[in-house]
Amino acid sequence: MIRKEAIEIISQIVGNNPIISANGFTSRDLFESFEKKSNFYMIGSMGLSSSIGLGIALKNLKKTVFIFDGDGNILMNLGSLATIGSLKPRNLIHIVFDNGLHESTGSQPTISKKIQIDTLAKTLKYKTYKATTKKELENTLKKIKKVNGPILILIKISKSRQTSKRVNIDPIKIKQRFMESLNQ
Amino acid sequence: MNEESQRNLFNLFLKKGIKNFVGVPDSTMKYFIDEGLKKKKILIATREEEAIGIATGMSLSDTKTVVFMQNAGFANSLSTITSLVQLYKIPLIFLIGWRGYQPNDAPEHFKIGKIQPNLLKTIELKSKIITEKNLKTNCDWSLKQINEKKSCALVIRRLHHD
Repeated sequence: MIRKEAIEIISQIVGNNPIISANGFTSRDLFESFEKKSNFYMIGSMGLSSSIGLGIALKNLKKTVFIFDGDGNILMNLGSLATIGSLKPRNLIHIVFDNGLHESTGSQPTISKKIQIDTLAKTLKYKTYKATTKKELENTLKKIKKVNGPILILIKISKSRQTSKRVNIDPIKIKQRFMESLNQ
Repeated sequence: MNEESQRNLFNLFLKKGIKNFVGVPDSTMKYFIDEGLKKKKILIATREEEAIGIATGMSLSDTKTVVFMQNAGFANSLSTITSLVQLYKIPLIFLIGWRGYQPNDAPEHFKIGKIQPNLLKTIELKSKIITEKNLKTNCDWSLKQINEKKSCALVIRRLHHD
């Protein structure tokens, strides 16, 4: 399964709920496959999608907040897992697309194959799930329907076959339409 | 800034509609943070960039937010400020403790304290030094900035050595 295929499966349960997507190929894949106003595409500030998602989850209790993260991204901000685990937002679903690579910068290795990000998140009080196939991902999404967050789903993906186009919406516009979507 | 003024500053922010206070503790503003902790209004993050990320999420949710940190943490945050706060024009008030303001401060603060004013200028974050005397004026200035959807910084100098 590649990232885009995983995003297409997840998009079926997201509806109009907010997605905060990490910079690099994660945002680019989301932009190509599931563009909507309630996506907050990050362009820079690597590592912070989970923190932005936490701020939104704490202030929008009626929304389910989806964080689209990568292994390289979350490894830059592991403290965020601890903060989220301690605050226990029920409406936060943290998805980590794990290819073991810094794919956006030329596929240099991350250390994710040598450690267990899901076990770490579980220790930090998340409810954790892992999926390596499309079927497992579909089953996981069914399982979490009645589970309170914070939830972390670690999805093992393989390297993309093609590079998605860049997010070509102006950052100010991304912000404005995202904020409007939170009020709907 | 003395204890009374720090507590007053917190309460002034609260009265003027600031809903969230996110940051990493700094002894220069310990009474400000203590006042917020007493009122259960403080969220302490693990690092300053994380605090700015959380504050950004809160600001995107249309609530007014102060991010507090020491100047060492401000230096940690430069890229987050340029590629998140400024890129998306997120209105936040940064409250920054200025260690190394006095030459007899602890050695780890000396260099960063020396370049602090230039760092703020270089990244084009508007700032004012807040003191006991200008507390209300500069607090109002910072609120005006975020009401106009701009970020800004208030700097508290470290005037004692312990």
